[in-house]
Amino acid sequence: MMGIYIFIFFAYLFGPLIIMSITAFNSAEFPSITPWECFSFRWFNEGKIAYDGQHLAGLLSDWRLHDGIISSLIIGAGVVTLSVPIGMAAAIVLTQVRSQLRDIYYSISIMPVLFPGVIIGISTVVLWDRIAGLGGEGFIADIGRNGIFLTILAQTCFISTYCFLIFVARLQRFDQTQEEAALDLGASQTQVFFKILVPYLSPAIASAAVIAFLFSFENYNTTVFSILSDQTLTTVIASKVRLGISPALSALALTIIALTIIAAVTYEVLRRRAEKRYAESEEKFVKEKAADNRINKKYKAGFRIPKGITAILLIVVFATYGATQIVKNDLYGQSCIDTADKKKKSKFLEQLQTLESNELTDEELSGGSLGGNQDYGDIFGDPSLFQDFGGFD
Amino acid sequence: MSADVELSDVSVTFGSFYAAKNVNVKVNGGEFFSFLGPSGCGKTTLLRAISGFQEPSEGKVLIDNKDMSGIGPNKRPTALIFQNLALFPLMSVSENIAFSLEVRGVSKEERKKRADELLELIALEGQGDKKVHQLSGGQKQRVAIARALAVEPKVLLLDEPLSALDLKLRQRMRTELREIQKRVNITFIYITHDQGEALTMSDRIAVMNEGELEQIGKCDEVYNNPLTPFVATFVGENNPLYGKVTGIEGDKAKIETADGQYLATMNESKKLNIGDESIAFVRPESLFIPRDGDNFDNKIDVNIESFEFEGNLKNFYASLKSGAKIKFSVPNAIDTSSITSGSSIVLGFESSKSVILPKASLAID
Repeated sequence: MMGIYIFIFFAYLFGPLIIMSITAFNSAEFPSITPWECFSFRWFNEGKIAYDGQHLAGLLSDWRLHDGIISSLIIGAGVVTLSVPIGMAAAIVLTQVRSQLRDIYYSISIMPVLFPGVIIGISTVVLWDRIAGLGGEGFIADIGRNGIFLTILAQTCFISTYCFLIFVARLQRFDQTQEEAALDLGASQTQVFFKILVPYLSPAIASAAVIAFLFSFENYNTTVFSILSDQTLTTVIASKVRLGISPALSALALTIIALTIIAAVTYEVLRRRAEKRYAESEEKFVKEKAADNRINKKYKAGFRIPKGITAILLIVVFATYGATQIVKNDLYGQSCIDTADKKKKSKFLEQLQTLESNELTDEELSGGSLGGNQDYGDIFGDPSLFQDFGGFD
Repeated sequence: MSADVELSDVSVTFGSFYAAKNVNVKVNGGEFFSFLGPSGCGKTTLLRAISGFQEPSEGKVLIDNKDMSGIGPNKRPTALIFQNLALFPLMSVSENIAFSLEVRGVSKEERKKRADELLELIALEGQGDKKVHQLSGGQKQRVAIARALAVEPKVLLLDEPLSALDLKLRQRMRTELREIQKRVNITFIYITHDQGEALTMSDRIAVMNEGELEQIGKCDEVYNNPLTPFVATFVGENNPLYGKVTGIEGDKAKIETADGQYLATMNESKKLNIGDESIAFVRPESLFIPRDGDNFDNKIDVNIESFEFEGNLKNFYASLKSGAKIKFSVPNAIDTSSITSGSSIVLGFESSKSVILPKASLAID
């Protein structure tokens, strides 16, 4: 029963992501699993260049997406460099504040989290527009209307609060007599900060930096206002979705998911390795202490069946079934794509021919009460009018 | 190198509360000096005033005859050992010990050399690479001392550093501390609420109560000739006998209590007059069960209530006619099988072993 519940829960969580990931490999122009056209990597590469020159960008060739990613990375780096020190400083101040003021200070510090992101975005733009207006032309005017700069400031507003909370949690367990001990031993305040406090806070600094970057990277509702004429990854995706969804977005989503999983796994592996090293040193220490050999035995872990075996088996079965179907029906490779494209092209030709056969004669047009040329002027007369029209596929 | 430490009229206030009030002490160079007092008596505040974490509200702290006001803890020739030791958990033992050298820019090789020397002093050779949490309680204690000694301070301040240890280890550390002090020959100022610790280690002790100094003196002096009823009852145990002075004979005074008259020794600086409300004190170990031929100045009739076995001593709790309680101790070697609960006996004590002081509040009230 428990297993079923967990399965449903994970299916709910990851189902959409899995479906979306699969659509990235379908060569069709609209993200779908059925009908399956061809297995292809084209949405990760160039995308589709249609027979008539129209270009449906893939992940590699979409320059708007690339620009968005680059500005997102710049903004993320900026937000990390600003909000980690701000959050740390605010948290350190909290430890120094007297008890009556503490609650008020804490409430004010976490307030930005409670504001709607939209308001932070708009107010930043409004403020800096006024500031930019003050100095006439020049550096301030440039910077006050720079979308990336404004977005860094606007996001830092609330992201530094998350950093603050991380530092507060860590500082609560800090033994302040350590600072006093260091002072007493002759350290200056600066040395106390860098030799005692910063090493103690370093895990919090790392997690605050990661969280700040992730929050910045995925932020939309503040960014959409403060970015002005620039684009970040999120605003690019949003504008793309507005125009019509493309499998290139699925490809992007899959790439992001893959990067996340790789990062998480790497982190976990490194952590376990460090833990093992620590455990070994502890064991050595215990052995040294042990008077007799009772704890000197080595325990070897036997092979254990992984707990997620059902899920893994299920995935393997589905993947094998899908792969065999694709291979059996020859639904992969360039040849498949070519056939599919040709099919669409021929269909278009047929449609065009039907249209042409239904074309009204000049007499029919001029004779009728709805005579287009007469009523609207010769707006369809331009022969280059449909020249760039890409077709209906 | 050791230095004198002088507190001259030092007061520390927090709002309207006096944590320390008009404290005057002169600690001599190379001395092992203890501040003894119950928790909240202001002894830690004084220690923080000496180390520089707390500026006195009034008065001056002088170290080596130099006024320390305005000089921060990192600029004073003192080192403090904290109650919780405050070792740096992220550093190895050697790094902990050499921290004070590191912040002074001493080269790495020299730091290592000094750390090794100190590790030898505290009998932890070759354990410098261990992490702090891999050490036992007593080892941590010694590392804290080594860390404090690394810069060769003139004064070492210790804030109840033994309170977290178990009894056996505490007793061993007492001897060790005393030995280290003799070896490095610097001024130790020790703070404790444990009178046993203070008496065994110190050259002199200062007893404090509610921010004020009650008495300063050598250990036996404080124990045998307490200046106030507080000191009499805080340092060691004492039986109070309340009454009025009825006669004075030289340095002795006669006190009339509800249970009879006793003769007790007056303190030179606390002369009494006939009719004064006063308390005579007699320690449990100064009360004897008279044997044939014994002739004590004072005799008390008591009724035994209960008995307690402590190991080296047997403690008896008894009541007087008036209902006042009294405790006396007998060495385990003496046969006391005839004394049982409910039996009435006569106890005796010498007037030279009893002090009489003007009435004031006791430590146990």
